[in-house]
Amino acid sequence: MSNLLQEIEAQIAGLTTGLQRQNVGTVREIGDGVARIEGLTDAMMNEMLDFGNGVMGLALNLEETELGAIILGDYTGIKEGQEVRTTGKLLQVPVGKELLGRVVNTLGEPLDGKGPIPASTYYPVEKIAPGIIKRRSVNQPVQTGIMAIDAMIPIGRGQRELIIGDRSTGKTTLGIDTIINNARLNRAAEEAGDTGYRPLYSIYVAIGQKQSNIANVIRVLEENGALPYTIVVVAAASDSATSQYLAPFAGCAMGEWFMDHGMDALIIYDDLSKHATAYRQVSLVLKRPSGREAYPGDVFYLHSRLLERSARLNEKYGNGSLTALPIIETQMGDVSAYIPTNVISITDGQIYLETDLFYQGIRPAISVGLSVSRVGSAAQIKAMKQVAGRIKGDLAQFRELAAFAQFGSDLDAKTQALIARGKRIVEIFKQPQYQPVPVELQVAILWAVQNNFLDDVPVEQVKEFQNRLTEFLTTRKAELLARLAREKEIKPDLAEALKAALTEFKQLTA
Amino acid sequence: MRLSKQARRVAKELFARCRVDDRLDEDRVRAVIRRLATTRPRGHVGIARYFQRLVALDLARRSALVESAVPLPPDLRGTLESALARRHGPGLRFTFTENPGLLGGLRVRVGSDVYDGSIAGRLAALAARF
Repeated sequence: MSNLLQEIEAQIAGLTTGLQRQNVGTVREIGDGVARIEGLTDAMMNEMLDFGNGVMGLALNLEETELGAIILGDYTGIKEGQEVRTTGKLLQVPVGKELLGRVVNTLGEPLDGKGPIPASTYYPVEKIAPGIIKRRSVNQPVQTGIMAIDAMIPIGRGQRELIIGDRSTGKTTLGIDTIINNARLNRAAEEAGDTGYRPLYSIYVAIGQKQSNIANVIRVLEENGALPYTIVVVAAASDSATSQYLAPFAGCAMGEWFMDHGMDALIIYDDLSKHATAYRQVSLVLKRPSGREAYPGDVFYLHSRLLERSARLNEKYGNGSLTALPIIETQMGDVSAYIPTNVISITDGQIYLETDLFYQGIRPAISVGLSVSRVGSAAQIKAMKQVAGRIKGDLAQFRELAAFAQFGSDLDAKTQALIARGKRIVEIFKQPQYQPVPVELQVAILWAVQNNFLDDVPVEQVKEFQNRLTEFLTTRKAELLARLAREKEIKPDLAEALKAALTEFKQLTA
Repeated sequence: MRLSKQARRVAKELFARCRVDDRLDEDRVRAVIRRLATTRPRGHVGIARYFQRLVALDLARRSALVESAVPLPPDLRGTLESALARRHGPGLRFTFTENPGLLGGLRVRVGSDVYDGSIAGRLAALAARF
């Protein structure tokens, strides 16, 4: 008991000695999650402001006679004339491995009912991106487990690859598939005790989405065992525009922690169109001048400063990386709208999903012509380069020739062969959702296509052939796949082994 | 009422001309208002209103409010005034009020800076710590 009294005594003694100067202001106007405050002459840009009762704000507009601040959390209790204090701190969120497997809001507070997060480290939400000295070019792949992407539009660790398409074309699914595949790889490496493998942790940032969709994503991640390697940051449609505006930056800060500590992380911003809309709302209620489509003038800088924070650091700075997969939703396939063109120009390539392909049953509905990866091929494993090098060209030729073939005119043998090959490749790339394919299997299947093992299989049976081949390889030729995964290159003896395995399979199924 | 940009600009200019040596000259302020009332230029009400706001903000910046639980003896007031003038520069307008709610000690507000040395403030800080 006396101990407790002494502690209180010490606390009181500490309080009596220091007379702190505080900078205060008064709320002049409040509404729409934005307050205008008089006074606060010492406030800094992006500083946290204390409104009392645990409500915090963020100073965004420093004007001549007053200050515009956005309020984080519930603003209904704030009244005109109320006192506001500066805190001298920037907005920060908890970071670290403690957040893996958790669902948090923009401020890093748990939403999943699994108790408090015991994080000891905090990172500022806004941070300047790593400079040129710290960076290096990408050289390690992100295996998405989606054949069409890994073969034709490869993504490297530290890259920013945009996923763009109309509503319901499978944009989120691509991101979720990538998370699931990497969780599978992480777990496999953990179980095998492979210390050489660099695990890829994922962060999924849901911005302005329906709660039901977010719940569904979390359920899928949980069912596929991917949640323990994932942080989900949620700013749902019912959350304030201010928290939707800050959510990607909070998620990015969490990812940066992994990068700064020599680890690899992947962040998915789903989606940045809604983020731009939320930012437009915040800017308009702050009375900032509006520009094209009523977006504020700095909407480009908003996304560029966010995406620039994804990087591959060089060995001197820990060798970590942060890969970003921003998602943009287009209207009626219009990629030349304001926000899509902005984000396309910032990222290192895009994966364009088309509604037409989606309804033709080509899923994932990746448009090969419009999708590119500007830096990812440097990170592709050699075996994949060997088998997939010509595929993009083959498919482009096929699309061109397929238009002619519709007229039913007589075609020469070479053209017919090209069309037949193209049709089979399209079939091979069809893949159901949440079923990522390991890269060694992708290589084996594509090797079979390139070496004419599928030419005698009717197009409508290609998928079935592929499924049976997958089963055959995984059950009976597991050591061949393991060798492929280990060597990451098809040397002549491995090619011989693949040829023998495929011939055996063909004889079995004939 | 929404102020026009023109009115704001004029009011700001008038306000700037009322400052002498970085301090507001009251006689000039009165003269400006008198002149506005007699000549009535275009948008004079808006100008006067924004001018008033600028003056009010300036006064708030240069005013010091000293709250104490009990009346302060004149010599303590003198020391306080000189100490605050040292810190914030001359030309402060002092207001001394009594606020029994403070329980004891002082609470001084100069512009938007607050020095809270009151018992009530310390108790609140203590309560926040637990």
